Amino acid sequence: MNILYNSGTVLIILGLPFFLSGTVGLIRFPDIYTRLHALTKADNVGLGCIVCGLALQSGSWAVTAKLLLIWLLVLIASSASCHLIARSAMHKNIQPWTRS
Amino acid sequence: MRNGTPSSPSHILSQYARRSLVRFVVFSFLWYALAGSDKASWIIGVPAVLFATALSLMLASSSPLRISSAGAFHFIPFFLRQSFHGGIDVMRRALSFQQLLDPGLVSYTTLLPEGSARIFFVNTISLLPGTLSAELHGNRVTIHTLDQGLPIWANIQRLEYHVAALMCISPEKKESS
Repeated sequence: MNILYNSGTVLIILGLPFFLSGTVGLIRFPDIYTRLHALTKADNVGLGCIVCGLALQSGSWAVTAKLLLIWLLVLIASSASCHLIARSAMHKNIQPWTRS
Repeated sequence: MRNGTPSSPSHILSQYARRSLVRFVVFSFLWYALAGSDKASWIIGVPAVLFATALSLMLASSSPLRISSAGAFHFIPFFLRQSFHGGIDVMRRALSFQQLLDPGLVSYTTLLPEGSARIFFVNTISLLPGTLSAELHGNRVTIHTLDQGLPIWANIQRLEYHVAALMCISPEKKESS
């Protein structure tokens, strides 16, 4: 039980830098497309780590199922909304930033 | 399936009933997972589940969704590994002092048939390292990439192969569409 709890803590701590780098990317990256990359990928992995950590700490199958479900729904929502935002930017003729 | 040929009305009806039943069970499970075991929650839950079932049947494409368990067995570890790489990749580029970006657009023509498989493929592209699906026109996907030096074609092709295996799409069917 204690081992489970502690490995959960490790996973939660592991997830935090992903959220941080997603936010740093959102601020530092040059255009809408690159910022979408930062948000979707980093946050999904961060959330995945935190969800797994919390599931290990919960010690209950019902809570684990609920957490995994939340992660799955966030995955679907974030990839779909990411695609829709990128598509709408393409339709508005927003040119991607390029290294020049 | 017992009554007559695959195209007979009774067969279509039974298939429809089976699809509704599967969706009903899945949505009931979703509600149970989200709301917990409190019986009173089903006052809202039953109408919500029925509504969700009806809505998903209305919105779903006519082609039935078939998921192969062997495909899922290969796809889930592949997906988790690739998402993790994607997260690490973004972290490296976001936190680096140098500018590590070399973005660009790539066009990819997919062989996956229209419907669930293609939509699933386009959505998963955005979660893989360095790629983001920006546009879908017929079977042509426009992909935005963080770094044109990445092996994008190889990655996307591998993903396409995994999606085809997951959705029980045989190579012959893939070629013809």
